[in-house]
Amino acid sequence: MTVVPGPVPRLLRGVDRAAFAAALTRRLRERGVPVDLTATGVFVRALATRTPTTPTALYWTARIAVVRRHADLAAFDAVFAELFADAALGTDPHARHRPPAGRPAASAAPGPPEPGGSGLPWAIRPTVVGVADGDAPDGPGVPQRLPSAAAGLADTPFEDLDAARYALLADWLAAALPALPTRRTRRRAVRRRGTRTALRETMARSRRTGWEPIDLVRTSPVRRPRRLVLLCDVSRSMQAEATAYLHLGRAFVRGTDAEVFAFATRLTRLTPALRRRSATDATAQATAAVADRFGGTRIAANLHALLASRHADLLRGAVVVIASDGWDSCPAADLAAELARVRRRAYRILWVNPRAGVPGFEPRVAAMAAALPYCDRLVPGGTFAALRGVVDEIAGCAALSRRPVTTTA
Amino acid sequence: MTSALTEVAELADRMDSVGYLVDEGLATALFFAVRLGQPVLLEGEPGVGKTTAAKALAQALDTALIRLQCYEGLTASEALYEWNYQRQLLAIRLAESRGERLRDADLFTAEFLSDRPILQAIRYAGPRPPVLLIDEIDRADDEFEALLFEFLGEASVSIPEIGTFTAARRPIVVLTSNRSRELHDALRRRCLYHWIDFPAAERVARILRRAVPDAAGPLITSGAEFVGRVRALDLDKPPGLAEAIDWLSALSVLGVGELTRPAALRTLSALAKTADDRDTVTGALADLPDPAHV
Repeated sequence: MTVVPGPVPRLLRGVDRAAFAAALTRRLRERGVPVDLTATGVFVRALATRTPTTPTALYWTARIAVVRRHADLAAFDAVFAELFADAALGTDPHARHRPPAGRPAASAAPGPPEPGGSGLPWAIRPTVVGVADGDAPDGPGVPQRLPSAAAGLADTPFEDLDAARYALLADWLAAALPALPTRRTRRRAVRRRGTRTALRETMARSRRTGWEPIDLVRTSPVRRPRRLVLLCDVSRSMQAEATAYLHLGRAFVRGTDAEVFAFATRLTRLTPALRRRSATDATAQATAAVADRFGGTRIAANLHALLASRHADLLRGAVVVIASDGWDSCPAADLAAELARVRRRAYRILWVNPRAGVPGFEPRVAAMAAALPYCDRLVPGGTFAALRGVVDEIAGCAALSRRPVTTTA
Repeated sequence: MTSALTEVAELADRMDSVGYLVDEGLATALFFAVRLGQPVLLEGEPGVGKTTAAKALAQALDTALIRLQCYEGLTASEALYEWNYQRQLLAIRLAESRGERLRDADLFTAEFLSDRPILQAIRYAGPRPPVLLIDEIDRADDEFEALLFEFLGEASVSIPEIGTFTAARRPIVVLTSNRSRELHDALRRRCLYHWIDFPAAERVARILRRAVPDAAGPLITSGAEFVGRVRALDLDKPPGLAEAIDWLSALSVLGVGELTRPAALRTLSALAKTADDRDTVTGALADLPDPAHV
């Protein structure tokens, strides 16, 4: 590659480009920006193509070659600013005004896990969950005992469960993944009773018969499970149920195409945290991510935030499960308006209410009453057995017929 | 005849001359896409000018733009190549009627191959490498991304019946995404990455002046400032640059010289795209001057 001869740039004069790139990328990796070797190589080639003469040029060269996702930009800017703070000001005019709080993109990246957190603020004690999660310590008798023990406990209210039983039930729940309703995709696959002739496959098969197309190969659209979106209330009034619902969410996230959000006063996306293999890790991460657990509830405001965020498209055609007792500090009319919007996007809305299983329950809370017309089903969720019922309801919700909601709040 | 690019500023100037204003970040990203032959992935809010950037790049480099619009169910036969089966069948019949024997190699030749955008970009014969725009890659199924890896990494496409086509000169590849789903890391690894931010008000004004040359000066300044205010409102669909340009064009078509409340009301359909947004923006119109009440 020919580099245009000219005055030697001052910024990187006498610098070994490879060593510089390696050092910078190592620094970035230490700070949690994933930089692979390909990116480092590209960075060196970029430096060779055009030697940056100003810190701004160096900033853009490094950022474009090395950073691969929007969430890493903040960490990159921090490292770069640290290294070149005294070089000059004015690296990136856009990055220096950080995105406003309304845009969750850059700030939503989960930070590094806090090592050895002192106890979990959820109802679980970490030591006991660790036992259930790792290898069974009680010898060979335990696996046989699990199902019946869990089934026996399933009807106990969440408040009366200790952590060990909790873990037992969470595993039991994870074993029962819902058969989700499906949707038709535009992708097609070969089917005997397909509706369209596939020329490519027919020609390939006609080779066997001397290029005489005897077998017509047909295709039909592929069906795919719908996405599941769980919105989990973690406010004070839901303290007893929140952990159980998070376990439900973890079962969904690990088994299907699901998204989990927690909300009390503000909305937190928990999907990446819950995807972790170990239940202890997952709940610990989720706990760390939710800053406002056991606070007040603002259901309508949180639905609004979800619809305004870039995750709003996740609701399209999805089965939306809202787990909350319906105590909302926002006006009921707001909730109705937001739910109407969610309903227009989603395939089905199921509302899981822990109190709904109590005999004589009536949706008297203003928010709950306002929400009901927009929900396809109100499902009780006070015990693990009821949560198994939620799983069954999700599987069966395709059969629910939808009526148009004319109530305008 | 355009010569090879040597400087970022030169690319920025050329894009400027075809009517697209770039900031340094985007210019650097596109410059490296051209010089390093590495695909570049552009992300950003809807309507911030991702697709237009690729179009302007092709124009600035005076070369062809080949576009692949992604959608669910997109497969190799729409993106890479397809055999022309009808012609193959005809060739078989013809051979039969002449009493000739056909071999596999006779049926799977370049003659029966239809190029789709990616193969087109590889086999492009023009004087300069083309710009290939793979638009809204997040709309294709995630399985489709894997189809692109060979092309993005090596600028080649392998066809089992013929062999591997490799581009003589790497096409300039621009991918755009609206982040409706997370792209796979393997795809990101093969690309440069740039996030396009929504520009500040005075930059919006400069872009508008370029995009709507007919509009009056004061209209553009107040319009850009008003769009910034509308974006700060709590909207279902905040207007992007594309909407701002549409709105300004609508205003200038009406012959409006200055932003007033009645004029804004008449052209609201270009700015607010849902019923709720229309109400919210109408509320924000209250502080605009209204000649009827002066």
